[in-house]
Amino acid sequence: MASAAVLAAVGLLGACGGESAPSGAKASGGPVYGGTLTYLEHQAPTCLYLPAAGFYPNGGVLNQLTDKLTWQNPKTLEIEPWIATSWEVNADATEYTFHLREGVTFSDGSPLDASAVAANFDVYGLGDPDLKLPPAEFVNNYDRSQVVDPRTVKFFFKQPSPGFLQGTSVVGAGLVAKSTISRPYEEQCQLKNIVGSGPFTVARQVVDKEIDLAVRKDYDWAPASSAHQGRAYLDAVKMIVTPEDNVRVGALTSGQADYVRYVQAYDEETVKNAGFTVYAEPTRGVNNGLYLRPANSILSDVKVRRALQAGTDAKEVVDTLFTPGYPVATSVLSHLAQGYVDLSGKLAYDPDRANALLEEAGWARGAGGVRRKDGRELTLGVFVSGPQPLSKQTLELVAQQWAKIGVKLEIRPADAGTQAVDIKNAEKTAIAHSMVGRADQDVIKSHFHTKNRDVILSDDPKLDRLLEQESAAADRTARNAKVAEIQRYVVDQGYAIPLFEEPQVYGAAPYVRGVTFEAVARPVFYSVWLSDQTGR
Amino acid sequence: MTRYLLLRTGQAVLVLWAAFTVSYVLLQILPGDSILIKFQNPELGLSPAQIAEIRAYYGDDAPAITGYLHTMLGFLRGGFGYSVDTGTPVVERLAEALPETAGLATAGFTLAVLIAVLIAFAASHTRLDWVRGALLAVPSLCVSIPAFWLGILLIQVFSFRLKLVPVIGGDGVQQLILPVLTLAIPISAPIAQVLARSLDQVQSQPFVPVVAAKGASRRWILWRHVARNALPPTLTIAGLTFGELIAGSVVTETVFGRNGVGRLTEQAVNAQDTPVMLAVVVLATAVFVLVNLVVDLLFPVLNPRLKAKVGAAA
Repeated sequence: MASAAVLAAVGLLGACGGESAPSGAKASGGPVYGGTLTYLEHQAPTCLYLPAAGFYPNGGVLNQLTDKLTWQNPKTLEIEPWIATSWEVNADATEYTFHLREGVTFSDGSPLDASAVAANFDVYGLGDPDLKLPPAEFVNNYDRSQVVDPRTVKFFFKQPSPGFLQGTSVVGAGLVAKSTISRPYEEQCQLKNIVGSGPFTVARQVVDKEIDLAVRKDYDWAPASSAHQGRAYLDAVKMIVTPEDNVRVGALTSGQADYVRYVQAYDEETVKNAGFTVYAEPTRGVNNGLYLRPANSILSDVKVRRALQAGTDAKEVVDTLFTPGYPVATSVLSHLAQGYVDLSGKLAYDPDRANALLEEAGWARGAGGVRRKDGRELTLGVFVSGPQPLSKQTLELVAQQWAKIGVKLEIRPADAGTQAVDIKNAEKTAIAHSMVGRADQDVIKSHFHTKNRDVILSDDPKLDRLLEQESAAADRTARNAKVAEIQRYVVDQGYAIPLFEEPQVYGAAPYVRGVTFEAVARPVFYSVWLSDQTGR
Repeated sequence: MTRYLLLRTGQAVLVLWAAFTVSYVLLQILPGDSILIKFQNPELGLSPAQIAEIRAYYGDDAPAITGYLHTMLGFLRGGFGYSVDTGTPVVERLAEALPETAGLATAGFTLAVLIAVLIAFAASHTRLDWVRGALLAVPSLCVSIPAFWLGILLIQVFSFRLKLVPVIGGDGVQQLILPVLTLAIPISAPIAQVLARSLDQVQSQPFVPVVAAKGASRRWILWRHVARNALPPTLTIAGLTFGELIAGSVVTETVFGRNGVGRLTEQAVNAQDTPVMLAVVVLATAVFVLVNLVVDLLFPVLNPRLKAKVGAAA
């Protein structure tokens, strides 16, 4: 019993403290303070309004500048204390009370107290029409806040909101000073206006090129379970936007940079061979896959959707284009997601079944091998998805697989203008290539619900109802059971063709130690330190 | 002369206005708009009604002609509106990006001219036919190198292998060396070709043997007579390469991660950030028109015969 407790504690410490030394690095003494980390980003951050922090470059910056009420342990996915030292949730998850840590300040000197927290979540929960602030995706059913005393804040919900506790730990729930949250949208988009309580502050910014972070020396409120406390080890972080893959990886292996995001699958070998570490961090959400839209006149037939599912070989996609860091999908959700069920049996590659289903649905082989029905060709449109790794290549390979069963996939380039217009049109864009990462059961609702991302442009009220039941089930077991039911339903209905579990892939020099990530693979620089063995 | 000056300036203004109008109309016709692209982001989960509200807030629901006049007035007053993507005034973005690109373009152009002059004069001066052939082959080689590939190659060799110049970090000058080379090499090609050809043409004219018979040295002839006469066509082509300079800087700035006008354009196009795109088009046209105006006005100064013609016309 006692040893189990010790083990658990050690597990916790190891999980979030930071000394998870990368393999290959020699253990040479303890962490040292000081130094500047040069971190290369693939894309420039866009609008930094916190609920829009899901875009990885945005989250990569905001994670270092802001703290959250709670910390989600990336190993256990448990919610642990951070700015809130403890909390109570009522039985039906409609009232949350958080008790806040004392002495926490924002970098402008203002206190991080109950009224600041309430001001943040009122915006994240409801938005603010006057300031043009849209509400955040991670808060469901929000009603209002109540400041009980300077260190206690209470939130009320119109309906059960069991996902809220995890919602307080996500990057978009970063806490900002009142001076930030009271600004209009455009101003909250700009980095210079973001005032947080995090371990780093912004020292300098060259828009679209570089962000220099400086350590906050008085920082003393890391998550309780973190082995490292006090100020961050690093003195500074230089985040430099380096869009060209070649240059980013070359700069890392030639010693001009220490740590880079977005190592392409075909560059992983180069990085490893140079003696550097590749981190393929799971994003624990809805898998990278093709999402089929039932509102499309061809895809309205469930047989066609199931045929496409059976005619897609996800394993071939992974084996041809990716690396072991990209596990083949076995369900709509990642195997590390909450409520995951293994549906690999239903998702097996079976071209014979695909052909049979299409024949049954009345699509007969025409000239050139493409199936036809009532004079119409079986052609489906899809956009190349900018944020997904090797999206174009993936779609091209799938198009080859589908050609074998007589289906033509029309791949369109990721032009933002046309895409913005056509992506919401099921007739023009029959299929969406996407994924979403969030380590909570609600991630599946984010992806499929008509009021959220709605990737399949659902016309299925049953799916919406299931998703609402999931997001309002107070009991964890009941929620997981609902999530399992939804996964089965989505696969049975042929709404999804899961391809692989999408990781975020980073590369770092061996002397970069204490590399940690939050639950959906955004980097946390708080416990990173540079060992001096390189004689830097 | 004054009339020539006024005429050319008037033409320049007309071209600018036309560029503004055409780009404005084209940007209006394009599918989608920056507000839609930005706020339809699934992470924000906004309803079409909310997006319509935001569009009204940005004044995007006004009729096209009102928008056109409003934007043109803004441009005349030097206000280019706000970037929808980042919320910052376009003037601010341009003020940040312009010096980066101006430095890169000026250095790139100067180096390109230097390379061109070097190649053309060396080819023209040499008596060895094979050296001449080899030198004259260089421009066509240079012009067929894609800037993108050249940039990567230079980085791989000089920065990553030989570790001579850093691409990441490094001071202002260090950060310029490789991009300037990347830009200059392809641009030097057309200038070198035209200069070499004009040198040849002028050299074959009857006055050259006359001057030689008077006892002038080869070098004297080349510099005092031939070069001077070969300059005008070269100047024209050099002015025209400014366009390539702008296009080349988009690629170069992306490869090298420099936040100049080129990068700004690329990002604005991606996000269909109309105010930024419009400002960039007008700015690029202005530079282009200005450079060509200067070239045209320089002609009479360089060539007295042209001056006489202009004078006669006036």
